[in-house]
Amino acid sequence: MKPRLATLAHGATTRLGLTVLGLALVWQASTALLGVPASYLPGLDAIFSMMHRHPAPFIAGFIRTASEMLIGLAAGTLVGLINGVLLHRHQLLRQLLLPLFIVSQTIPVIAFGALVVMWFGNSLLSKAVIAFYLTFFTITVNTLAGLRSVDPAQIRLLRSFGASDHQLLWRLQLPSALPDIFIALKLAVALSLSGAVVGEWFGDTTGLGVLLLQSMYNEDMVTLWATILLVALLGSLSFAAVALMERVMLFWQPRA
Amino acid sequence: MSITTKPAWQRLITTLALAALYLICSVAEAQSTQASLRLKWLPQAQFAGFYVALAKGYYADEGIDLTINPGGPNILTENLVASGSDTFGLSGGAESVFAARDRDLPVVAIGLGTQLTDFVFVAKQDGPIETLEDFVGHRVTTWFTGANYVLYAMLAEQGIDRETVNIQPQQVSVTPFVDGTVDVATATWYNELNTIRNRVGEENLRIFSPDDYGITFPRDALIVSERTLAERPELVEGFVRATLKGWKEAFSDHDAAVDTVMQWAPTLDRNHQLAMLSEMQRLMTAGPAEEFGLYWLDRETLEQEHDLLRRYDVIGSDVDLDIAFDSRILEAIDKDERMP
Repeated sequence: MKPRLATLAHGATTRLGLTVLGLALVWQASTALLGVPASYLPGLDAIFSMMHRHPAPFIAGFIRTASEMLIGLAAGTLVGLINGVLLHRHQLLRQLLLPLFIVSQTIPVIAFGALVVMWFGNSLLSKAVIAFYLTFFTITVNTLAGLRSVDPAQIRLLRSFGASDHQLLWRLQLPSALPDIFIALKLAVALSLSGAVVGEWFGDTTGLGVLLLQSMYNEDMVTLWATILLVALLGSLSFAAVALMERVMLFWQPRA
Repeated sequence: MSITTKPAWQRLITTLALAALYLICSVAEAQSTQASLRLKWLPQAQFAGFYVALAKGYYADEGIDLTINPGGPNILTENLVASGSDTFGLSGGAESVFAARDRDLPVVAIGLGTQLTDFVFVAKQDGPIETLEDFVGHRVTTWFTGANYVLYAMLAEQGIDRETVNIQPQQVSVTPFVDGTVDVATATWYNELNTIRNRVGEENLRIFSPDDYGITFPRDALIVSERTLAERPELVEGFVRATLKGWKEAFSDHDAAVDTVMQWAPTLDRNHQLAMLSEMQRLMTAGPAEEFGLYWLDRETLEQEHDLLRRYDVIGSDVDLDIAFDSRILEAIDKDERMP
């Protein structure tokens, strides 16, 4: 089991690495050879030298945005899972709350962001709240869907052995819902990242979103692209972490 | 199956619980600030005076533990000050104070940063625009956050029907102007105009300054809530005194001031920031400031602006200038401390 997993991951990583390297080469070669103006698309050399000259704001920004995103994602996952279980168990709750959750998701985050600053100030927390707001719904809905798709015959079987609600939930329903929950988590990674970045547009000094905004308005394309690459890196790493977690926890699932 | 999955589940739950705990802890620590200043934008030399005053401890000398909160594209400084989320604010300009008062927000301007309009309309020397009359039939972009009314007034003063000018909202970038897809763009003296000068060349530009057409919109208004002003005037006075000191220090040593600002935003372009500070100094020390000092509230200018905003229905009813713009704090400070 283990070596197979390792070689599989190894092969995929090598392929990914080669693809990224290839894209980087095309980027660098085209900007250098075709003489693309830096105001249009700066070369990778300029972008990396910018990050090398001023590493501090990029490192601090990466850590800050990652923390906002992870706290929001963790809280959103936790609340989403609890919501999913509760809504699955209590029909009344489902009828009352689910429409409210849907309404909450129709409010554009830009409108919501101004309120968050007023309520939670300029803290790291206020950005985490926006990331949370964007993630909990996806997790809730998918957990609910996963719990509802459990084979009734299996539930009857466990019941016949005298399983309690608690045992049923932890040993059958949640594990069976895991594939659905992981789909939601993968979506939530992207949502929480954009939540954290947009949250930083409501007044802050540190973060990838701040760098993005500042460079956008100063037409500083080098910093803009450096930040875009870091946001992409953060998103990819988080996505990979979730995918890895899925592999470990869903080892019984056939892999595509 | 169920037995083997359990440890993984427990690990996940532990992780989530720890994250939740961290979340709770960060709520608890977010309450030590005595006063805060909400800027209208991210750290840059436009706000050098505040950052210098903070770095030099001028606010601390006045007994104020000040936090500077940057602004952003979706931040309404007036709302944050009115709601008490922030103690002080640097609002867009006199026009945003008028608009806030018109919406019954209890905010008061205690000083105005730039004594002149901080933006101009810019065209290219080799383009079709030589005079304001030439705007007719051409593409002009401006900000629909107040600058548009200045443009309307300028056109009206020259007897030009603004319907004959193709006025479009201006986006972030000045590239459409540089590339020539737009004939006239709006630019602040301290930011966009510097960018345009660098990309097109000063000698290739034709500048239409609202002040030359008799329209002055003082900008960068220092605001505070009515409540703070009434209940803690000593706090407001201390804040203004330290701010004045910060600006005078920044004006006397541009290099050090830009260094201070760039500690907050290291990726900024240093030369651009130096040019920004020079322009800020010019705009802040011009006009009435020469006689009465920094942040002066010039009654006549404000009356003119008020009438103009009324004429274009930007504000629905008359605003009481004495309540909206309060110069008592400035007057309580020695003139020597106010003079640049």
